[in-house]
Amino acid sequence: MFKKATLLLIMVLSSFVMLAQNLEGGIEGSVVERSGRTPIAGAKVTLYQSASDEYVDSQICKEDGKFLFKELSNGIYKMVVTATGFTSSEIFVTVEGYVKDMRFVSLISDQKVNEVDDSSFLEFDMDASGFTDSPSILFSSNDIYNEIVGFGFSALRFKNRGYSSESQDVYLSGVKMNDAVTGYSPFSLWSGLNEAMRSKESVMGAEVSDYGIGGYNGLTNFFATPSTIRNGWNFSVLSNSALYRLRLMATYASGESDNGWSYAFNVSARLGGNDWVKGVFYRNFAYYAGIEKKFNDVHRLGLTIFAAPGYRGAQNASTQEVYDLVGSNMYNSNWGYQNGKVRNSRVRKTHEPVMVLKYTATPSTDLEASATLLYRTGKNGYTALDWYDAPDPRPDYYRNLPSYFWNENTDYGRQNMEKYAWATEAWTTNVNNYTHMNWDNMYNINRMNEGKYGLRSKYVVEERRVDQNDVNLNGNVKWRVNNLFTLTGGLDLKWNRTEYYKKLDDLLGGEYYVDIDSFAERDFSATPTMTQNDLDYYMKNGEARLLKKGAKYGYDYYAQIRNASAWFNGNFKVGRFTANLGGEIGYNSFWRDGLVRKGLFPGLDNNGDPIQYQGKVLTTYDEDGKAITSKGKSDKASFLTYSAKLGLQYVFNGGHRIFADVAYLNDAPTFSQSFISPRTRNTMVKNLETVKTMTADVNYQYSNNGYDLRVTGFWTKIKDQTDMMSFYDDSEHSFVNFAMVGIDQRHLGMELGFRTPFFLHGLSLEGALSLGEYVYTSTPRMTMTVDNSADIVRDDEMVPYWASHPVFQKDAKGNYIYAEEAYNEDGTVREGFLPKIDKNQKHYVPSTPQMAANIGFNYKTPSYWFFEINGQFFANSYLDMNPLYRTDNVVAGPDKVTTPVELEYMAAQEKFDPVFLLNASIGKSWMIDYKYNFGFSLNISNLTNNTGVRTGGYEQTRLIKSVSGQRYYRFDPKYFYMCGINYMLNLYFRF
Amino acid sequence: MNVLLLMIISLASCEEFEPVFTGKYPAPEEPEIVELTANTTIAELKAMYTSGPETITKNVIIKGQVTTSDKQGNIYKSLYIQDETGGIELKLGKNALYNSYKPGQWVYVDCNGLTVGKYNGMPQLGYKDPTGEYETSYIDAQYIIDTHVFRGPMAEPVKPKVLTEADLKNPDNYGCYVTLKGLSYGNAIFCLFYINPNLGNAAKKDNSNRVFLDKKGGNWGITTWAMSERKFTENMEKGLFDSASAADNSFTVAQLRKDGKITPTANAVSQYFKMGAADVQIRTSGYAKFSDLEIDPEVILGKKTIDVTGILTIFKNDIQFTLIDLDGVKIN
Repeated sequence: MFKKATLLLIMVLSSFVMLAQNLEGGIEGSVVERSGRTPIAGAKVTLYQSASDEYVDSQICKEDGKFLFKELSNGIYKMVVTATGFTSSEIFVTVEGYVKDMRFVSLISDQKVNEVDDSSFLEFDMDASGFTDSPSILFSSNDIYNEIVGFGFSALRFKNRGYSSESQDVYLSGVKMNDAVTGYSPFSLWSGLNEAMRSKESVMGAEVSDYGIGGYNGLTNFFATPSTIRNGWNFSVLSNSALYRLRLMATYASGESDNGWSYAFNVSARLGGNDWVKGVFYRNFAYYAGIEKKFNDVHRLGLTIFAAPGYRGAQNASTQEVYDLVGSNMYNSNWGYQNGKVRNSRVRKTHEPVMVLKYTATPSTDLEASATLLYRTGKNGYTALDWYDAPDPRPDYYRNLPSYFWNENTDYGRQNMEKYAWATEAWTTNVNNYTHMNWDNMYNINRMNEGKYGLRSKYVVEERRVDQNDVNLNGNVKWRVNNLFTLTGGLDLKWNRTEYYKKLDDLLGGEYYVDIDSFAERDFSATPTMTQNDLDYYMKNGEARLLKKGAKYGYDYYAQIRNASAWFNGNFKVGRFTANLGGEIGYNSFWRDGLVRKGLFPGLDNNGDPIQYQGKVLTTYDEDGKAITSKGKSDKASFLTYSAKLGLQYVFNGGHRIFADVAYLNDAPTFSQSFISPRTRNTMVKNLETVKTMTADVNYQYSNNGYDLRVTGFWTKIKDQTDMMSFYDDSEHSFVNFAMVGIDQRHLGMELGFRTPFFLHGLSLEGALSLGEYVYTSTPRMTMTVDNSADIVRDDEMVPYWASHPVFQKDAKGNYIYAEEAYNEDGTVREGFLPKIDKNQKHYVPSTPQMAANIGFNYKTPSYWFFEINGQFFANSYLDMNPLYRTDNVVAGPDKVTTPVELEYMAAQEKFDPVFLLNASIGKSWMIDYKYNFGFSLNISNLTNNTGVRTGGYEQTRLIKSVSGQRYYRFDPKYFYMCGINYMLNLYFRF
Repeated sequence: MNVLLLMIISLASCEEFEPVFTGKYPAPEEPEIVELTANTTIAELKAMYTSGPETITKNVIIKGQVTTSDKQGNIYKSLYIQDETGGIELKLGKNALYNSYKPGQWVYVDCNGLTVGKYNGMPQLGYKDPTGEYETSYIDAQYIIDTHVFRGPMAEPVKPKVLTEADLKNPDNYGCYVTLKGLSYGNAIFCLFYINPNLGNAAKKDNSNRVFLDKKGGNWGITTWAMSERKFTENMEKGLFDSASAADNSFTVAQLRKDGKITPTANAVSQYFKMGAADVQIRTSGYAKFSDLEIDPEVILGKKTIDVTGILTIFKNDIQFTLIDLDGVKIN
């Protein structure tokens, strides 16, 4: 009663105050779509008092999208604009005694993504372990599923819908940035520039973007222009315990001045190690500068340059035996002590500047066109140890492990329990630092090795360089023909030349190294010409090249790539119904251009004659009679590709929307999948084919009154993928190249995301579920060649157990059950018979949970506090398979007889245990004098400190030959683990 | 702001920031040179072997100078050390030992826990072999090596002892670095190869899977020190071994070859030489870098003799000789 009276009093008083004020003030404008400026009919504009969050008024826009609020008292208002199918927007407006014309208030279509609030924790550089990781999904502030999955699932390396990260199309300023050679997503180019790259638009699945037709795993365009960066200064300090200790960042954007100029910069440093994995460190910097000029209302010209230079120490995967011995799944074998200091052997060193010149013309509100020239250059390398005729320096090399000395199965031939005990003690006590790399020993070996010209290093650090020069020219147009039809289209040209070579990074106390192929020397030590990495030098000088620090060596070649494509998309809008139809044709070509002549594969000289040395012909020929060549241009691979997409959408009253997409896509294989052994020769994989993908999805979305829901069903079939790998094959006793073609996979599943208000104002319950089955569906074919000779050892053979393997019937005692005709009269089983098949065990697309769920509470107070807690469950994650273990030859073993035990052992795929994780966040922001904004956010991940979560890994390719000679045993697989409890604290200050 | 600066500075002093800020690593110190006092000579150690492998359980320390190098691959995973009383093979079990053990360098071995055994009469120092297949196994585990084998100071390489024909029968010389002078070609070889080298241990050693190329066939046309896999394939395809048979006489090599039953692999070869009346087999591994090099034709034809320097060994009752590299062959 008393409360009610007080409330009444306040209301009366406040209305009195309002009456006393001048009520001439007001706000007007029209709500339009951001791209194309189409009015949005039915948009709702709601006004609140900024300070108290108290409701003032609301309006629904008519066909012209216009709104007008009159008779407002002076002060600051929060204007919230919502429309079905669009991202809602909040704008602060100051009313000062007149009707303020906002002109256009633009909204972005719901399929697209825009700004992410600073208090979020998204980091694009979540890639602590590997070099090629990327976010699970690009962050979307409006789609609840994407919001949760984008950040929340990345620690587990969740891949949305099971798709590879290469399938994510990433654009910058309208130019496709996926690596031309490998297809990898390019986030590392701008990691650390979170502010400059904050503004972006995304579409998901097979939707068509304004910037390109895209593939089946979404398309995101980062604007990266100064005018899209938040105005003013922004400073932030971030500390976290999972990746690097400290990030410092400063940003300034001028906004657009009256004379049309705008400029911006963003710099950052990411430094230090983390709490979990020793040897991992960051010494990364980043810079961005952009300037833009608008000439009248039609032309706009911008120039941007950015890069993220730096060093980063990498983590390595180890076997479970190693993790158990050292008592930690966070063990990293890459580092060791050098005179007492931690040194990592695997360091990524990059500096790849990107320059963008962009011209945009908007001759009318219905037409927008742009042309972009983008150039990427610089250096990208990572270091590794290289050694010549010296013991393997890796601490977890299999011969250093206890398991090398003893195995309970006598068929392994490892029966020395005492040595096992010695090795176990060495590992568990870490006496003499056996568990780490021994830099001191490598130095001392180098210093003792008197060669012909001084101290010849046996161990060196090499830097494997991948230096790109990438030029892109892109034109884009968007033409709103009339209210019903909008046409977008573009043209893309790419010229890429990437140089692959090794550089001598550190002689480790020695004075020189020699440019010899130590793998070739194992087989051809008596023939010096064959061991040369640079045969031309040898033939001229009579000895191999001596190498000093900084020298190029080993291999040196260009990957040359030329791509062109043209695309269009027509968008028809009739009332609430929208349909779009798009298509693309592309031409992709690439070739290898060898810069040195390798001794193993000299090819022909400039006149087309065989290479001779001291009267001996060195040139070798393939089975078609063609010279096998390392120097000069390879054949050119070229592909004509075409894609088509259809999208349909219907918007219902009250915030309901259904939409669906279907697409047929055709992609050229990448350079990296197409050459048998690009480091040594020009030979290409035979029967290269384009990858064909069919995909379809159906979606239902609801968004109203604080409720959000999306449900999606998807189906994707990917056909004719190629994979290329090189490894040591114990069954052939040599280093081999393994080319696998005809890999098909099918992705079927659903996504669910929801947010619902929960009792208390500001509290909501949020959830996301991703459930799918991502499987291999074909029996690929493989060709295996010996790396040193190009001899084909297996020609176009099947990999029969790639997509599945049979599991056989067993009786209660565990004995296999055979068909009757398989038994001899005495009850023994006849040779060549396998038991009855119980089922065919499917093999799954690896390295991502095929089931992932998240549920959490989110609480936001009017005073800008926020709290969040969520629980996550991940299951059905599988280990990456090595195809060698799925071949007939390896399953059967040296005796060439396949037994059910061998088959079930060798072909099986490992499934990871399910995982439950708990995370919490807290944050607050303060507005001081309506000008200064200070805030913090703190996120604690993995509250239960679960250190047993496998995020991925791989099977080794090596084999153990049994004592019986009947079968092979596998080497143990290697795993990566997620780190335990970790924090991320972000403090920011803006004005 | 000061607080922030302080925070950064304090962070910078953490270990994890060291490589970040300096980018440099101090050069390691020179390795420690260990000097122990030997209480036993190599001859005394060899004498501890009586009837079977002997695991040392008391304080026995020997010292010796390194006489071999595994650089050329003819000596593999082992090195020989020698004092004034004799030489012995030290079965370390690691690759590329020559990087760490230089000729002439002193090595101390704490033999307590190691095993002295013999391989067909040739003494070796290694580790127990619980399978019983051999009398010793490789020491292999780095921790055992580091607690038993100590690298001492460098010194001048050992000078080879020049032996007479009579010295060949003296067991004290087995394992020693020696020179044999005036050897003439014996025009015979011994080589054992497996028809399928990938079979299980038992089946592999079955007579049906073994072929002996012995001195009855002279040198079988093999004029190299040994045969790498390629050389073996080449010789086999020339038909050089066609008249040989599996040890159980089941098939001739000609038949096996025709049926594609032979899996080529690298094979060691013993080339027979004469020192006076005594036979000396110079045995070379198929994995030695000089395995495929031709022995001087003049030597093969008996027109020239050779002096060889290397390790004298014994196999059952046969005198064998191991070259360390081809610098150990001097043509007269």
